[in-house]
Amino acid sequence: MQFAPVLHAEWLKIRTVRSLPGTLLVLFAVTTAFSAVAGVDNASDPDADLLFTALSGAAVGQIAAISFGAMAVSAEYHDGALRLSLGSVPQRGRWFAAKVTAIAVPTLLVGLLSAVAALLAGRAGLGDAANGLTTAEQFRGVVGCGVYLTLMALLAAGLATLLRSGVATLSVLIPFVLVVSFVIGGATGTATDFLPDRAGQAVLQQSPDGTLGPWTGLAVTALWAAAALLAGAWSLRRRDA
Amino acid sequence: MTSIDVQDLTKEYGTRRAVDHLTFRVRPGRVTGFLGPNGAGKSTTMRLVLGLDHPTSGSATVGGRPYAAIPDPLRHVGALLDARAAHGARTGRNHLRVLAASHRLPDRRVDEVLEGTGLGPVARHRVRTYSLGMRQRLGIAAALLGDPEVIMLDEPSNGLDPEGIVWIRTLLRRLADEGRTVLVSSHLMNETASFADHLVALGRGRLLADTPMREFIDARVRPAVRIRTSDPTVLRSTLTRHGHDAVEHTDGYWTVPDARVEDIGRLASAAGVPILELAADEGTLEQAYLDLTAAETEFAAQRQET
Repeated sequence: MQFAPVLHAEWLKIRTVRSLPGTLLVLFAVTTAFSAVAGVDNASDPDADLLFTALSGAAVGQIAAISFGAMAVSAEYHDGALRLSLGSVPQRGRWFAAKVTAIAVPTLLVGLLSAVAALLAGRAGLGDAANGLTTAEQFRGVVGCGVYLTLMALLAAGLATLLRSGVATLSVLIPFVLVVSFVIGGATGTATDFLPDRAGQAVLQQSPDGTLGPWTGLAVTALWAAAALLAGAWSLRRRDA
Repeated sequence: MTSIDVQDLTKEYGTRRAVDHLTFRVRPGRVTGFLGPNGAGKSTTMRLVLGLDHPTSGSATVGGRPYAAIPDPLRHVGALLDARAAHGARTGRNHLRVLAASHRLPDRRVDEVLEGTGLGPVARHRVRTYSLGMRQRLGIAAALLGDPEVIMLDEPSNGLDPEGIVWIRTLLRRLADEGRTVLVSSHLMNETASFADHLVALGRGRLLADTPMREFIDARVRPAVRIRTSDPTVLRSTLTRHGHDAVEHTDGYWTVPDARVEDIGRLASAAGVPILELAADEGTLEQAYLDLTAAETEFAAQRQET
């Protein structure tokens, strides 16, 4: 069995349930809107990280990305839907790879688009202060933001496959993302810098102040996502459907 | 031709043995009824055949191959396991389009099976607006999508209205007549009796019977004659004289066990017994099955005592 038709089927699955493309629309809207607000808010604050201000909407938008990844997978764990899927594609590894690709590609595209829009909106709010950003930094921020949102969606997808539930996944990840960012957020210890969301968000900062640089930080998030996907794939192959 | 082969199949969930050293073969060209009470292991067996659950031991193959080794499974095996599996937010047509896409089947085929299962008018409605009967039809449409030579349906008439039950009976007959292998599970005896040619009966995960339906019934239920008369006294004495043991029922008819309608008819006529009704009392699948499970229970009880 070839990969292309399986991928087509998985993509069709995402497209034909209105709430899933809707979640990506929310990702775009929220990321852009919060960046615009942050830009205006921080326009007069000389200490604020300019790039992070312009892309800070991603910190809220990632919740939509996480929901998208979790929901796209969790639909399989209702009322034997997975049995129907694996009945048509018994090669579980291939099926999972198609599912993951069908989640990753649209998230990356919408993520990049959201990052561009967020940057423009954020810059509009910042006004002249935005001139402190170099082209290279802005490029890195936009690409990094798109990749970061995709990795968070994949982290959720992997976890949802492991836990076989969207609700369980969201109740682990959402509080984690919110609590870590806002409660432990101030403390820049070495350990917290390696948490999936903290590490990856280094790429959104003009001058990351933690242990990790922009790309190494993103790589750490990629490792988290890869670990979650591997755990999910392992569970999928081993367990009864 | 393609048959389903189950070979010494065993599946344990924790300490519970859902399927216990099961061996049987489902052959093409006939409808095989998969019979047993709820929890007998029918659905588990079907999941094992489809490679969805991993067997504890033994094997199940379709056309000699494990299901997972079939390159385009929907073109060979169509299955309905759970009618609720379709996502409520998707339309019936899109639900089938997803399955079709994985096998490069054209949308034309999707519309064909939708029409064939009577879902044409609601094809573009969301599945959550469907009744249970319509979901069953959608599940059957999914099973037929790849025009497979093997069809497995788990309790397909669940939730169908009387018209739907007649429809599925006709459909199963047609599929078998086309030479396909058809396995249909049910916990309802009368329903199974109405469509099955062959019977595979399970009880607590074990194979109880694998025989043609008629043989199954005839071997377990002795033929009897049902008779009604306006003169019971003469009837009784006539029958007793010829060594028959008639049993009187409250609503005025008699049954004569171990007898054929030809013999009793002749006797009654020769003796001048006025007859209001005379009929062969054919065994039903239900009687046969109950007889079988009663024997099974006794056997189990005896084994425990020794």
